[in-house]
Amino acid sequence: MKTSNNRFIARMIRHRYLYLMVLPGFLTLLIFHYFPMYGILIAFKDFNASKGIWGSEWVGFKYFLSFFNDPMAFRVLKNTLLLGLYTLFWSFPAPIILALLFNELRNKRFKKIVQTVSYFPHFISVVIVAGMLKEFTARDGLFNHIVAFFGGEPVMFLLESDFFRSIFISSGIWQGVGFGTIIYLAALSGIDPTLYDVAEVDGAGRWKKVVHITWPSLKPTTIILLIFAVGGVLGSDFQKIILLYSPETYEVADVIGSYVYRQGILGAQYEYTTAIGMFMSLISFIVLYLTNWISRKVSETSLF
Amino acid sequence: MKRDSLGSRAFDALNVVIMLLIMVVVLYPILNIVATSLSGASYISSGSVTIWPKGFNLEAYTTVFHDPYIFKGYLNSIIYAAGSTGIMLLFTAMMAYPLTIPGFAGKKFLTFFLMITMFFGGGLIPTYLLMRSLNLLDTVWVMILPGAISAYNVFLFRTFFLNIPSELKDSAYIDGANDLVVLFRIILPLSKALFATFALFGLVGSWNSWFEALIYLRDQDKYPLQMVLRNYLFTLDTTAIQGRVGGGAVAVNAPGETLDPKAVRMSVIIITMFPIMCIYPFFQKHFTKGLFVGSVKG
Repeated sequence: MKTSNNRFIARMIRHRYLYLMVLPGFLTLLIFHYFPMYGILIAFKDFNASKGIWGSEWVGFKYFLSFFNDPMAFRVLKNTLLLGLYTLFWSFPAPIILALLFNELRNKRFKKIVQTVSYFPHFISVVIVAGMLKEFTARDGLFNHIVAFFGGEPVMFLLESDFFRSIFISSGIWQGVGFGTIIYLAALSGIDPTLYDVAEVDGAGRWKKVVHITWPSLKPTTIILLIFAVGGVLGSDFQKIILLYSPETYEVADVIGSYVYRQGILGAQYEYTTAIGMFMSLISFIVLYLTNWISRKVSETSLF
Repeated sequence: MKRDSLGSRAFDALNVVIMLLIMVVVLYPILNIVATSLSGASYISSGSVTIWPKGFNLEAYTTVFHDPYIFKGYLNSIIYAAGSTGIMLLFTAMMAYPLTIPGFAGKKFLTFFLMITMFFGGGLIPTYLLMRSLNLLDTVWVMILPGAISAYNVFLFRTFFLNIPSELKDSAYIDGANDLVVLFRIILPLSKALFATFALFGLVGSWNSWFEALIYLRDQDKYPLQMVLRNYLFTLDTTAIQGRVGGGAVAVNAPGETLDPKAVRMSVIIITMFPIMCIYPFFQKHFTKGLFVGSVKG
């Protein structure tokens, strides 16, 4: 026992530089990732900065209950869920379809050019995308020129609730569809080309080849990404929302993330918004877990 | 090679049309912004600017360069991007390397410690309160340090390091080199591809981020460019912009034409996007690598 202890200590001394190397990253994680987890405790307390997190008074589930009694709670939950589901419905299949179309292009140079162009919006910042949307949807903007061309009356797109989701989701596709194809194209590049030759000999047309060779090879990737996407349904991109929304569109645009930002950071209701955040993380985790479980049962593909 | 059926050729034609449409949808808005930023006020307000400048002038750019916040924003963004990317690469490499050493006591614990952060976090408000209580608000550090380590990156680095043939470092150890020397003299020089990819993604991600600045910075002198841009696009009105750039002194360009505030806003977009546009051609061949750089080969 003693010798093995000595050997262990000798090994730790021999590896002293390794511990030194790990230290900066370890401390960064401890401070910036683990301390905030501890900070979640304020959801159960009346937070008093001078008393600190631990010293503040326990109040149990007070702030969780006040969320259920908050008249805004239903609205933000509904908006978060609907925006998430619509985004999933429109934005998830888009890169798969585009990757399949890329794959069918015969001219390799043309393919490369379109790909390069379609990836670019992914690298444009949210602020710029939101700013572009604001300019193009303005009274004298591009969209209203098109409306006017067809003889319509100018529309203030960003001030009308009816348009918010469409603008949010379509611009999201504009930003992400090209870059989203990369992972599918990588899966496609792994297909053995002789499979296509054999299928051709067997008389398969292009459509048949897509259905029986291309699509099956995309399926595992698709399922994994679908699990992530369903798990992330409640985590809408509120950075873009807080740039684009306004009191006129809160009715459809205000989601959990933006509500927490407004009430928490701007309104200083720290305990309450921490409780909301914690509640949502819990729901999100359950959704992810269930999706993964269903996927394992149905398709035998799963994350964990 | 048998001849393609009519349907197949029709599909090819349709596919090419779709692709051209996609290119138009992606490029038109960007070209329109470039063109608007370079156009004269009367053409902009009549809505006749498409993808080519009309009434070409550089007034919008000379105007915004009079705004000291643009320069400060540029400088701040460069500091934040370089700082956060540099620290990210250094900390990540140093954390990943020990995870490749057989017999390193604590490997299991560290892996678990990292994994937890992939699934759980404190959320927006507790993180904000932490920064506040550490007195990090309005400092450079809040923009540089918190993102330095992501478990995902550490695991990718580790897999990459594991793919480096171990004979190279073994012989260095036999020659008496310590772990630090092996990491910095043997492993890192062999990981240039990994570093290039993560450096580019890190720089672009940091350059484009703005939300951290929104919640952690109050002092406008510390704003990164994205926040300056956000103010131009969403909060400042025309008079405020003119106030910042020195009033009417530069508001007139071609005879009888005043500068359209829209051109000013578009020029700030272009100025903000410019570095990304410059590195994009070099960057784009790294995309696939970035996704798969850590994957185990065959």
